[in-house]
Amino acid sequence: MTLLNVENLKVTYATDDEPVHAVNDVSFSIDEGVNYGLAGESGSGKSTVAEALLGLLPGNGTVESGTIEFNGTDLTSLSAAERRDILWEDIAYIPQSAMDSLDPVMSTGDQISQAIHTHRNVSDTKARDRVRELFEIVGLDPDRIDDYPHEFSGGMRQRVTIAMALALEPDLIIADEPTTGLDVIVQDKIIDKILEIQERMDSSLLLITHEIGVIAETCDDLSILYGGKVMEQGSVDNVLVNPTNPYTMGLKNSFPEIEENEDPVTIPGSPPNLNGEPTACVFEDRCPFATEECGESHPDLVDLPNRNHRSACHRVKEAAQLRRDADDPATWNIPDDVDEGSDRGEVILETDGLEKHYEQSQPLLDKVRGEDPDYVKAVDGVSLSVRRSEVLGVAGESGCGKSTLGETMALLEDPTGGEFTFDGEPYEYYQDGNLQEFRRKVQIIFQDPFDSLNPRQTVRKLVGEPLTIHDYRTDEKEQAIVETLEKVGLTPAEKFLDSYPHELSGGQRQRVAVAKALVLDPDFLICDEPASMLDVSLKVNLLNLLRGLADAEDIGIVYISHDLASLTQVSDRLAIMYLGRIIEEGEVDRIAARPEHPYTSSLLSAAPEKDPTADRTRVLLEGEPPDPVDLPSGCAFAPRCPKAEESCWEAEPAIDETGDEDHRAACYFPESEDGPEPSGASAVDEPEFSGSANTDSVGD
Amino acid sequence: MSKFQRFLLKRLAISVLLTVVAVSVIFVVLRLLPGSPFEALVTSGNLNQEQIDEIRAMYGLDQSIWKQYVNYLGSLLTFQFGYSILRSQPVWDVLEPRLINSLILLVPALVTTAVLSSVLGMYAGWNRGSRLEKASIVSTTLLRSTPVFITAIFFIIVFAYNLEIVPALGMRSIRATPDGYLETFVSLDFLHHYLLPFTVAVLYYSGDFLLLARNGVVEKRGSEFLKLHRAKGLSEMEQLARAGRNSMLPILTYFTLRLGMIFQGLILLEVVFSWPGIGRELVLAIQQQDYPLVQAAVFIMALAVIIANLAADVLYAYFDPTVSTSGGGSA
Repeated sequence: MTLLNVENLKVTYATDDEPVHAVNDVSFSIDEGVNYGLAGESGSGKSTVAEALLGLLPGNGTVESGTIEFNGTDLTSLSAAERRDILWEDIAYIPQSAMDSLDPVMSTGDQISQAIHTHRNVSDTKARDRVRELFEIVGLDPDRIDDYPHEFSGGMRQRVTIAMALALEPDLIIADEPTTGLDVIVQDKIIDKILEIQERMDSSLLLITHEIGVIAETCDDLSILYGGKVMEQGSVDNVLVNPTNPYTMGLKNSFPEIEENEDPVTIPGSPPNLNGEPTACVFEDRCPFATEECGESHPDLVDLPNRNHRSACHRVKEAAQLRRDADDPATWNIPDDVDEGSDRGEVILETDGLEKHYEQSQPLLDKVRGEDPDYVKAVDGVSLSVRRSEVLGVAGESGCGKSTLGETMALLEDPTGGEFTFDGEPYEYYQDGNLQEFRRKVQIIFQDPFDSLNPRQTVRKLVGEPLTIHDYRTDEKEQAIVETLEKVGLTPAEKFLDSYPHELSGGQRQRVAVAKALVLDPDFLICDEPASMLDVSLKVNLLNLLRGLADAEDIGIVYISHDLASLTQVSDRLAIMYLGRIIEEGEVDRIAARPEHPYTSSLLSAAPEKDPTADRTRVLLEGEPPDPVDLPSGCAFAPRCPKAEESCWEAEPAIDETGDEDHRAACYFPESEDGPEPSGASAVDEPEFSGSANTDSVGD
Repeated sequence: MSKFQRFLLKRLAISVLLTVVAVSVIFVVLRLLPGSPFEALVTSGNLNQEQIDEIRAMYGLDQSIWKQYVNYLGSLLTFQFGYSILRSQPVWDVLEPRLINSLILLVPALVTTAVLSSVLGMYAGWNRGSRLEKASIVSTTLLRSTPVFITAIFFIIVFAYNLEIVPALGMRSIRATPDGYLETFVSLDFLHHYLLPFTVAVLYYSGDFLLLARNGVVEKRGSEFLKLHRAKGLSEMEQLARAGRNSMLPILTYFTLRLGMIFQGLILLEVVFSWPGIGRELVLAIQQQDYPLVQAAVFIMALAVIIANLAADVLYAYFDPTVSTSGGGSA
């Protein structure tokens, strides 16, 4: 039976100029007990659809036309009070950013019982009992219901919001990017939890995400949105395996996967301007297959014969041919000149046992007594080397110290121990008055392209500023700026020189940030999650750009990220970090194909796959990383390791415990010396989730 | 010792230290002022040198400055404020009624305005862009930027002289001879005199609270957790209450600090309304270099501010669960 039926939904946002048509004639329906996915890049209107369903549109947003039928009643015709009654009782919501969607001054348990009290007339004790029960269901300690949000980690907070969504056993749960911002391992756990619970409660799920992989693994049906239009919809198996719409093909191709040998193909350009109702196909100006017809009208959704699959494309009949062409980067006008980066130069940066320990503040009394303070060992003996033209990927969960490693390598933090050599000179040389020179040669690109650019400076100023600071090429400043902008693909450069950051798209802003780093012709680039805020196609753009820079400009790059899939695309070598230490290091292909360390294999297995027919073994790591102040003796990973034995607890394995020059790992029991299916066995051992449907693996 | 106790102890120690610093500064600054309390007597020519020396000795002013300082600290510790030089009365007898008069005017005014303007400010912030919001901002900005004595004089002209609803000056009518605080404050005559200064004080304090509350709510309005509250089906007012609770901390801090400063009185207001408060008394005492009186008054004021600060810290730790009570921890 149909639970939710959205018919020709149209949403506009009023702005000072023209209204923005965020959602245009979107229709879809969700059956009872079905998982439905809404996918698309940012600006595709997917979150607006969710907000319209929930009645949470911001003040300037209005539902222009269309109906939202839920269980037979049209939600748009209800009064505000009637709508409030349906919220949470029947439709619950899992918000996007777990980090700030909980009320900071209210205990988590109270926030959940508040939801219960609002809709049900129950006693306090009953509500609290229910909260304890919910905490148990989502895998949180029921004794922590009186804790405040800041006492939980990001993943645990998301569990709290899931517990809240379950409180009244709603018929429909709307999850808006529930895992964005969490790292792969936590993401995997959360998805697993949502699925497990939803199976038990038999409710429907509307999952909104830009990660096609997540939808492929969890949903039955999906709609692909672009520019506020449904481009393609139908069952996940049909749409993702045999896409018939060029946009779906592009989106699918740009989703990076670990076991893929080809570079991902991006969709060039940026999302459409929605200031008017679309007259042409919304994807027309980015579509390589566009014809005259496409410029005249937006195609209607066409049912494909004999299967649950609809597509909005004028050339839907030629889909098979388009699919073949779409795999070729040349179709999308992307020069396919990325060589294999085999000619790496000499070593430019080398660390040997690099340490960054932070002293913890201690009570005055202990200080007087002369007791040793505790240290947080953020970076604890890291030995790495990076060559020119080489991209070294550093991967790990949040809190593993990878960002501190980046900052220490850039000497933004002073190392507290170990050797550091850059360009043949030791750390002391740079500390001794040559830091300015170092700052010119080593550049760092930070995470957030939205905050790292001064909003009141033009691109010319932003990119030119480092030149002034370092007194570098000051006499040919303009030329240097233009050259660099063109190098990062902002062509023609003159068009961008006088724009302010807010006039640029997210991808362009990140390119300006890269240009800022490159304008000084550095020898070394440190990138700290530069793509984590970007949509898939923009992310792939940036990865290809960096890859190209490493090859063409002869610079060494360290790329720090928790996203193994994109790391394997961009890097030559990979270093896996856990609690301040490198636990596995080697050539990308070797690590991706045959990981040695159990931690690496769980990281690899946590990345979702875009092919819905592929079956993936989930290795759900137990618990969270231990407290970095009070590390267990022996292997730091032992408490979470499915294979840990006595000897792991006794002494810490060194990085060259296993393997050779090209691939080494700090593990006594590497995966290669194991049976044919190590990961499957470890998943069953996992106590917290054993018995759930997701651990039974179909071997490959 | 629990974390909170340790935090409290630390705060207390800091407060004591601050108090000592404050009273020392008062002592030094007063001695640095040119002239002495007896200058007027000397210039009038009514006293000869011998008599002056005698009086100085009586007040201990002939001793070395160090000895005076030690005596001063000792007396403060035992809350003996000494004898007013000009009024020939124990200092506390002079200060106590003045302090009570100030507090009885300003504490109710502050509490009233803190509650009313904060609620109004939160409501205005929630309905951003509404007419109410614009009007409240314009009027409070006007009240804030106008010196309080102008507002006061304006009110006196309108309500006392033109409309003749309330008396213009004083705390009680001249003919009243009340005995004790109860008789002084519990009477219609007092209420009659009280209304005007009370209203002006309320208006004077209102702007800060209103703007603080409004800004807090405006800032919180678009936040994710309020969206989740909304999704839970909370009504407008319940959502506003959560937004208000989340923006309460700066208001709380400001309130406690203001409360501490009330012990200084509102000098201009007291002067305009001839309200016999502590602020007015302090100005007079400084003019006449009445050391013991000034020292005691400033000591009480400093102590009040320091205690209010302490209260703010403690309340903060109580109302904001994210404040780490371990003090400067790296977590």
